[in-house]
Order: sequence, then C-alpha cells, then structure tokens
Amino acid sequence: MTRESESAETAVQRAGGRLSGELVWTVGLTVTVVAAAGFIPEFRALQFTSWAIYGLLALSLALVWGHGGIFSFGQGAFFGIGGYAYGISAINLSGMTGETFSAVIVAVIIAMLAAAVLGYFMFYGKVGDVYVGIITLATSLVLFTFMSSTAGHKYRVGEALLGGYNGMAGVPPLSYGIPGTELTALSPGQLLAFTVILACIVTLAVRALLRGPFGRVLAGVRENELRTQLLGYDIRLRKLIVFAIGGAIAGLAGAQHAAWALFINPIVFGLQQAAVVVIWVLVGGRKSLPGAFLGVVLVEGLASFLGAGGGSATPIILGAVLIAVVILLPQGLVPALHAVAQRWIPWLRERPAEIPFDESANIPDVLTETGGRRRTGVLEGVDLYKSFGGVMAVENVTLAFRDTGVHCLIGPNGAGKSTFFNLLVGRYRPTSGKVLFGGAPITGLEPHERVRRGLGIKLQVASIFPGLTTFENLWLAAYARLRVTAAATERAAQILDWLELRARAGDAASTLSHGQKQWLEIGMVLGGEPTVMLLDEPTAGMTREETARTAALITKLGKSISVVAVEHDMEFVRQVDVPVTVFHQGSVFARGSLEELRRDERILDIYLGRHRKAIA
Amino acid sequence: MSADQLNWLLNLFLSMQLSIAVLVIVSIGLAVVFGMMGIINLAHGEFLMLGAYTTLVGVRAGLYLWLAMLLAAATVGVFGLIVERLLIRHLYGRLADSMLATWGLSLIMAQGMVLIFGPSTQGIATPTGNIQIGNYSVAYYSLVLVGTAVALLAIVFWVFTRTRYGVMARAATQVPEMAAAVGINPDLVNAGTFAFGSALAGAAGALLAPLVGVMPTMGQAYIARAFMTVIVGGPGVLSGTAAASVLLGGVENIVSYLSTPFFGQGALLVLAIVLLRVLPTGLSGRWQRQL
Repeated sequence: MTRESESAETAVQRAGGRLSGELVWTVGLTVTVVAAAGFIPEFRALQFTSWAIYGLLALSLALVWGHGGIFSFGQGAFFGIGGYAYGISAINLSGMTGETFSAVIVAVIIAMLAAAVLGYFMFYGKVGDVYVGIITLATSLVLFTFMSSTAGHKYRVGEALLGGYNGMAGVPPLSYGIPGTELTALSPGQLLAFTVILACIVTLAVRALLRGPFGRVLAGVRENELRTQLLGYDIRLRKLIVFAIGGAIAGLAGAQHAAWALFINPIVFGLQQAAVVVIWVLVGGRKSLPGAFLGVVLVEGLASFLGAGGGSATPIILGAVLIAVVILLPQGLVPALHAVAQRWIPWLRERPAEIPFDESANIPDVLTETGGRRRTGVLEGVDLYKSFGGVMAVENVTLAFRDTGVHCLIGPNGAGKSTFFNLLVGRYRPTSGKVLFGGAPITGLEPHERVRRGLGIKLQVASIFPGLTTFENLWLAAYARLRVTAAATERAAQILDWLELRARAGDAASTLSHGQKQWLEIGMVLGGEPTVMLLDEPTAGMTREETARTAALITKLGKSISVVAVEHDMEFVRQVDVPVTVFHQGSVFARGSLEELRRDERILDIYLGRHRKAIA
Repeated sequence: MSADQLNWLLNLFLSMQLSIAVLVIVSIGLAVVFGMMGIINLAHGEFLMLGAYTTLVGVRAGLYLWLAMLLAAATVGVFGLIVERLLIRHLYGRLADSMLATWGLSLIMAQGMVLIFGPSTQGIATPTGNIQIGNYSVAYYSLVLVGTAVALLAIVFWVFTRTRYGVMARAATQVPEMAAAVGINPDLVNAGTFAFGSALAGAAGALLAPLVGVMPTMGQAYIARAFMTVIVGGPGVLSGTAAASVLLGGVENIVSYLSTPFFGQGALLVLAIVLLRVLPTGLSGRWQRQL
C-alpha cells in the first residue's frame, strides 16, 4: 500500500464520520472490567457475565440486521442451537477431554452451519426481506415446539437428555483441565473476565470486518441491491456469509449462556426471547456494535431494577418499549441521545471530512491509467427482431458501434430505440437475431454477466447508493473490478477528480443534485472499466448547464471507449457532435451526422408528424 | 382391500382434512391483512387468543357456543379497528417497523391476559358426539371445523368479489395511487381490511377454543404455522392460503401419523423452507388471477 492511498484510506474512514472514539471505549471498558473482575461480588459478577453474553447475541443481530440489512428475527434460534449443542457435547465429551472449551467451539460450528443452511435457502431462493423476517422467526418458534416435545428418555443424544419443556439439566460450566481428570470450573470472577475479553475480541473482529472491503460491499447491498449487482458483485453469497457469521456469534453466546446457567430450555426459542434481542438492538441503535452491549445493559439493568427481572409486568414493559422506540425513535435510543448530545457539546460533532489528494498529481485522462487491463470489443446487433404480442417494436436492425467514439440513438417516442437499447443491455431477449460483443454472442446473458465482460450500463433513473458517501460509491465500483483495496481507493480518487466532485467526496450521495447524481453514476460505471458504455437518456431532467457538462464528459469518454447514448435532447446531440442513428417504426431510418440529418426533410416529417407521399 | 384397511385410510383422510382445516382457519386472517395491506401482524396469535377468551367469557355468561363465537369474531374485529387507528396507521410503508410494533403489542396482550385470567388452561366443553368408522371414532366437532374452514374461505371470496368494499380493497392493493385518484379513500379501506382480518383471527380463536383449551400462550402455538402457510401461499390471499394449507397440513399430518408430532412439525418447517427455494414468490406467485 502506498503512502497516498493510505492517507486516502484513513480519510475515507473519517469521511464516514462514524465510530471515532469507539475503539478506545471498547478496549478501555474491557480492561477496566477485567481488572475489577476479582473484586466484584459473586452475584454481580454473574449478572455482568450474563449481560456480556446477551451483548454478544445483540451484536450478532446488529451485524446481520443493521449492517447486512437482513431482518433476522430468529437470532434466538442460533443462540438456542448453540446452547443445546454446547450442552450435548459438553455432557458427552468433557469426561474424555477434561475441559469444555472444545464444546464451545463445536457449538459455534453447529450454529454457523445451521445459519448457513437456512441462509442458503433464503438468499439463493431470492426470498424478499419480509419473508426473511418471518422465516427466521418461524424457524425459531418451530424449534420451540420441536424441543418442547422432547420429554422422556426416548429423546437423548448420548448421555444428554433433551428434557422437553423443562430443558436439559446438568450442563457443565466452562471448565479447564487435562484429559482424564476432574473438571475445574472457572470462578465467577474468572468467568466474567473471560466472557468480557471474548466479547471484546468478537466486537473488534466484527468491526475490522465491517471496515474492510467486505463491509463496504455489504453497505452497498443494504443501500441498493440492483446497483451492487450491476457492478458485478454476487450479493447472495455476501448475505449468506454475513448471516452465517451472525449465526456463529449467536451460537457462541448461546453456548456461553448454557454454561453460565448450567441448563438450557426451549424458552430461548420463544417469541419473548426473540423480541428482547430486537429491543436491545433497537435501544442501542441498529448499526452500533458497542450499542448492542449498551442496549443490553440499559434494558436488563432497568428490568433488574424494576423487580429482579421476574416481575409479572416485564413483558408489558418490554412490549411498550418496543412500540415506543419504533414509533418515536426509529433510529434507536442511544443514537437519538447521541444526536442531542452533539447539538450541545461541540467536540462531539463530526468534522466535515476532507479527502486529501496529491494536488500535484496530474490526471489527464482517467482511462489511460488502467495498467494495460483495457479490453477492446465491438458491440453489434445482428438482424434483431423483438415483438411484444403482435407489435414489432424492433424490426430487422443491424447496427455495429466502433470500439471508440460516441454514438447517439434518436427517434420519436415509440420508434423502438429504447427496446433496442434494452436488447443490448440484456433486459429483453430478442425474438430473433443476435447480440455480439467482441465477436462473441452475448444474446442469452443476464445484465450482470454482460457487465463482467466489459459492458457498462447506466439506466435512465440514477441508481446510486444514497446513504454512502460519494467517495464510497466510486470505491465500490472500482473495487468490483480491481479487487485490491489500495488500488480501488486510488482509482476512485481519480474518477472523483475527473467528475470534479472532490468537494463532495465525504457527503452522502443522497445530498447531491440531480445532475451530480447522474455524473456520479457515470463515474461508477466507469469504475468498472467498461469497453462499451450504454447510457439511457443521460441528460433527462438536467438544466442547460448540466447538459453541457454531461456532453463534455461523454465526449471525453468517447476518446478512449465506445459510448452509446439513447437521447431525446437535441441540444445534447448537437453538442457531442457525433454519428447519429435515427429510429423510426422499429427500424433504422437514417444514419449520419446531425448536420446531414438536419437537411433531410424526411426526418423533420417524422418528428413533426407531417405526412408526405414522398416517404412511401 | 379389507374393511379394516379401508377404515384406516378413511380415518387418515379425515384427520388430514382436520389438519388442513386448522391451518386454513388460523392463517386466513393473517393472509387477508398481509395480502391486502402488506402488513405482517405479529400479534395475530394474540388476536386469536383474544377471540378464544371472548368465547370463554360468553359461554360462562350463558350464551350458546355458536353465539359466543360470533361475538368473539365481532369483538376482535372492533379491537382490530382500534389497533389500526392507534398504531398500524402510523406504520404503513414501514414494513419492519410494523412487524416490531405488532410484536410489542403481542407481548402486552399475552401478559395482560395472564394478569386478568391467570396463566392456566381453561376449557370450553367440546360439543359432544362421535362418528364411528370401524374401530375408529371421529369427533363430530372435527367435521364441523372442516366445514367451517370451507365456509370461511367462501366468506372471504364473497367479501372480496361481491361487495363494494371488497372491490375497492382489491383496487387499492393493486394500484394505490389510481385507486385514490378515482375517489377511494385508502384510509377507510385499510381500516376495514385490518378489522376484517382481525375478525377472522377472532373467529379462529373461537373455533379452536373447544378443541385445545384456552390459555394466554395459545397464540404462540399457532403463529409459526400460520406464518409458514401465508409465506408458502404467496400473494393469493384465498387460493394461496388454501393451496398451502392443503400441502403443509397434508404433509404434517401424514408424517405425524406415521411417526410422531415431533417429526410432523419438523417436516412442516423443512418443506416450507425448501418450497421457498424453488418458488420464492409462493405457490400462487405465478398464478394469473390473484385472490
């Protein structure tokens, strides 16, 4: 990693404006608790241990829901699976191994596998968001019924009785020792220290994961699935991975919980348990990792204050909290308090981010710096026909675009130019005919497969990641192609400069103007280093100045790659001054420069709707 | 085939019909609210429980069972209307939030009922009578439930195709802006739909009360199966629910019959998840007429 890209990298992290003091807090708190662990009364130590365990469970939901955008209301299922798996393997194996830490590892693996299997069916089945919420919750509830009916000696795994509704008793505590000897259980103080250190390590690991490339792509998936896909990322796999990691963390918490409580029962799969996890995360803020622990401490602290947690009104209070937070503070309690604090305490305010670039670096043409990875290829449509019902929208069109230069497709409404565009992009399949790219047929490929071969696609409505910064948008696009963090950072910076959007680098893309969003998306398409860029009405809705600037950008692009633009705006077509193809009634009607076409009376007839015999 | 085998088959068939009928009854209200409004009511199980308790109170006050059941449907319908006005109306278009808020509601309702009636199970006398099939006897009430399930489907069909409200509700579901543009008040339609779905949940609780006993946690026992049925059914409120009930109820019943209910539950879950991998939009996802 070079020095410039390093500084750009840290700047991007600051540009996100999040989590600045977080690291210090996490580590500081862990050290404090561990140092104090020996002096805390036994009862408190056990209570704090349970909070740290619940915090891990909440953390798994914050990861899966807040960062992965997956409505998993069944983290309790993996928690319970982890608990039962720990119980079964600790009861059966601890006699042999002399310790129970290996049982924790077994539990984590089993919970992760369970999450991966469930995730495979959900994400590869492309199940919608709501359905994911219901399936995860229903899985948990079915496990509740399932485990509740395991009473009796019939239901046992080795030495371990599942125990039905009353649960599995005699689960060994976390213990160490050498094979063949008696187990030595951790003391409450040791247990607290161990649990807190583990929670800290997991939190830091998740944090590192989210700050790396994986986390950025995940943010992209959460913000705009379609765009992420069109950049060439496999979103199903990423959802599966984050879901499996969440399952593993929940399983870890479950194993620790069973070891802490010395038993496990089906109530962990129940509706109330599942709701409590959601409440913790809602209170702490969906995206905040330390917030997950804070949420647990606040909610559980309140519950224990109100009546040792066993008060009969607890579910009513929990329910009321859930409704109140959802309606009044959808962002969560802690983030809301944080926002209030920021207003009053100046040093908590996020500083506007700057992206430092090497001012002296001269970036004349963004496209020449791709290090020889440029591909070339001619895009052509051969004998294309497309009919909708009985209507021929595209009829016998054969068109090839040069490997550099801009080409405009124009024509009145209903002329077939958009249909033709969609045949090239891959949203429609032709009724007959072929689409060739670099000589190879791509007629049957999905849009994202075409993107991987070097087609850049920009649809009419700007499709960006509104919640990410301008820089992060471009970074994701560049990383999709380069797959190297530092190189992607460098490349994104170049494109940012090229678009003259450097001043907005750290701002959320949603705050850009309409024209800037369109340019940003053109920049993102460019990040994929396409050979051919397809643009659908790039200047729709733009002001005159914005149109002129877009024309300039596209003209520049045309110097090194092939650009095909479908356009209505004659002003734009005049400015780019390139070969134009006129569509009429599904066929190519005329070709030439705009000047030549202007002299053609027939074109005016089409646009103005005049009917003259001469056409026939 | 001997008479015994024939009786065995007939008995299996009838118990399968009962499983299917129970699924239809517990999920049709949920399906109406989800299919027509896109709201997931996580308190559906507790609405059902409220219906059961209303029936219990009605019967204890001396009402005929059937009358108490009608009262239960009406009561839960009105309750649903109030919930829609106070809570749901703020959450349209915020799907996850609407799930969370109704979840909170479900916790409050379940515990509230514990505080009022206590946590124990209370029974309602099952209408007696059995039909003898060879060595097997089938409760007369089971047959009533099968008949009622069919009747409920017919009522839903009638409401959504033959009444003014039903046509407006379907229009509002398909193209909300256009429906508003031709003068349909979406507020009113949504309130009506939620109340209707709630009334169906209340009726479900009332119908199940004599079969399983009334307790505050009874909602939880059915909610998972109701969700699975609705998801597997897909967008078709009526056709999807019916088809999913037949498939899931049938398989659960056969597996339970051949092994234990333990494996029946597991089979239902696995089947539902595998089906979604194959048909992500549910059984009715690709059907042309979606009701």
